[in-house]
Amino acid sequence: MKAVARLVWSYFMGSVLTRTLTIIGAVLLGADLCILATQPESGEMLWLGIFGLIALFVGSSWMPLMFGRLAGSHAARVMPGARLKLLASALVTVLLVSVPVGLVVTAAFISDRSSIPEVIQNPEALQYVLNLAAITLTSAMIFAGWMYVALWMMTSKRNLQGLVGTLIVILLFTLLPVREIRALNVSLTWNLQQLAVVWAVFGAGFLWWPEIKARRPRAPEPFDGVTRALSGRSTGREFDVVLGTANPWPGVLASILPLALMVHFVGNAPGVWLSFLAIFSTVAGAASGQVPGRSRALWLRGNWTRASLFSAVERSVWRHNVHLLGALTLAFLGVGIYGGYSVALLACGIPLLVLGSALSTYLGLAATKGLHWLEILCAIAVMFAPMFLMKFVSKANPDLLTVFALELGFFLLAAGLRQIARRRWLDIDWVQCRPERVMMIRGA
Amino acid sequence: MTSTVAAARLGKAFGAKQVLRDISFEVSPGDVIGVLGKNGAGKTTLLEVMLGFTPPTSGGIQVFGHESLNLPGDIKSRVGFVPQQDELLDQLTVRDQLRVIASFYPHWDSALIDRLCTEWGVDLDARIKGMSVGERQKLSILLAFGHQPALLILDEPVASLDPIARRQFLEQLLAISTDGQRAIVFSSHIVSDIERLANRIWILKEGRLDWQGDLDSLKESIVRLHIRGSGAELPQLSIPGVINIRRDGAFATAVVRDWAPEAQEALEKSASVQIEVESLGLEEIFVELHR
Repeated sequence: MKAVARLVWSYFMGSVLTRTLTIIGAVLLGADLCILATQPESGEMLWLGIFGLIALFVGSSWMPLMFGRLAGSHAARVMPGARLKLLASALVTVLLVSVPVGLVVTAAFISDRSSIPEVIQNPEALQYVLNLAAITLTSAMIFAGWMYVALWMMTSKRNLQGLVGTLIVILLFTLLPVREIRALNVSLTWNLQQLAVVWAVFGAGFLWWPEIKARRPRAPEPFDGVTRALSGRSTGREFDVVLGTANPWPGVLASILPLALMVHFVGNAPGVWLSFLAIFSTVAGAASGQVPGRSRALWLRGNWTRASLFSAVERSVWRHNVHLLGALTLAFLGVGIYGGYSVALLACGIPLLVLGSALSTYLGLAATKGLHWLEILCAIAVMFAPMFLMKFVSKANPDLLTVFALELGFFLLAAGLRQIARRRWLDIDWVQCRPERVMMIRGA
Repeated sequence: MTSTVAAARLGKAFGAKQVLRDISFEVSPGDVIGVLGKNGAGKTTLLEVMLGFTPPTSGGIQVFGHESLNLPGDIKSRVGFVPQQDELLDQLTVRDQLRVIASFYPHWDSALIDRLCTEWGVDLDARIKGMSVGERQKLSILLAFGHQPALLILDEPVASLDPIARRQFLEQLLAISTDGQRAIVFSSHIVSDIERLANRIWILKEGRLDWQGDLDSLKESIVRLHIRGSGAELPQLSIPGVINIRRDGAFATAVVRDWAPEAQEALEKSASVQIEVESLGLEEIFVELHR
């Protein structure tokens, strides 16, 4: 029990950043619950809770990486009950970030319609509210669980397999609840069944993994052959090979698979498509975050200053990203033509994808000193910026002037980020952005 | 003649933590410099400042007459570096990795690399991802040798090598250094390797260059004294340059630095003691300096 508590404590409080976010999240949620218990519900109050929930979740975001590292470590094999304790710590973490969701949603529901004493006195209302709380809690647990899986894939598996997995998980955990809500079939029983099956399968697999691993024949990694076949283009592009930008095709392939799934799930709804394509374009650009660390190997191997190295790196990254951006644009055009999107929607949507990619590309290039407050806040903003813009673009008749003004604003933001990246590269310190150092910071 | 590397009052801090303090040195062609220091003494930082990976916070450092932060391409092509943690590309084979790195240099000695691959048992078709730490280290060393650099900097190059591979590596390093045209700077915790190979020693202690000079001077300078008094108890002794002293009745053992025969004579006369001087090995010197 002590070990589980210590692990959970480390997930939330392990570094200054996560500790601060966790405390901010807890304070905001506490304040929101106090207000909801005493005042009638309003939109502003809910935002307080939402920010609190986001802070609490981001505060625990090292959990998947720490969990994965500990599970794969030698210590996990020799310490008594290590895997069981790790599994329990993951479950407790999911529960800890989900309970506030149930509390806030239920408190907001009561605050909007009645008061806590009135609900307690009315058995029918009490039953309804408890059911609502349970459904919200279990839905949040399902959602949080998949979010952690996506985070784990993003942080631990930096290959084609990881990218495909991340995109599919994002797609599934975002789309499936939408379908359930549309069909009005969310129920406590169904949620509990999902939770039981997912945790039972995951738990059994996790606990018996060492035995399974010892018995299974050594097979080549999935997609390894594909990656190898697609990567035979290194001659003349050695600079790109060192940076990891020589071969854009696995990334393109990694996006096409989830997009094919999307056709099945969402048809041609413009809002959903634009939303996902914007996320994909942002994820595509984010791969540039590994470039500052990898460029260290190039420093002694060419006639460049730090400024000219940045220019060469920037060109290399765009040579890589333009392929994925092209694939996403083609997908958007294809769906748009098939779905009869307006010309205005297509004209506004394509710059959105380019801007999403540009913002995340320059943010990645600017991360020359590992991950700190500024980078984390910017990354969150960059993830939300295209989603925010998408709301205006995906309307049946978008207000072109507003969209143009917003896109211009994002363009200026991307240009500003590029300037920051360029200035940071002028005094890039490779001691501070070594890949293993970044991993250490992430894992701290 | 221009020094290969020259540093003056070099300092480096990461935030509030001062890692290097007031370091000055020169490296000339023909020098084989062994860098010794405890963990966290600043060895890796010193080597990386030397190569321009990280800017110094004070002082200056020049490589072949150019500021290390702004080395031109022709100077960089004369520098080879083996980092402590390799920078190999996991998805490539050894052959592809060698090809990728060779493409950056106009004068890549393929014959030398092929020969070393055979001698060191490096499989050209092996995928890097599946290689052991020692095999990866061998490949990192090969990548630094291929363009026959005039300045070779190695950060703990033998840490993961087995004794045979270590011997082969040291032999190769000796072969490289014999022409007197190249300079080699390497850090290691294996003192016997440094003793065997280096003609100059740098000892880093808490970010300062505590000692620099040739190995023989170091061994002459830092010695152990066995002191025997004439009475039952030794009198109070004033030993110049004492690093540490252990007393036991009429006997004492002291380690001193900057020892000179004149000091021995003076001490024997003034304190009526007999002194025997014992030379120390490099490992003992290192331990005594850090005691």
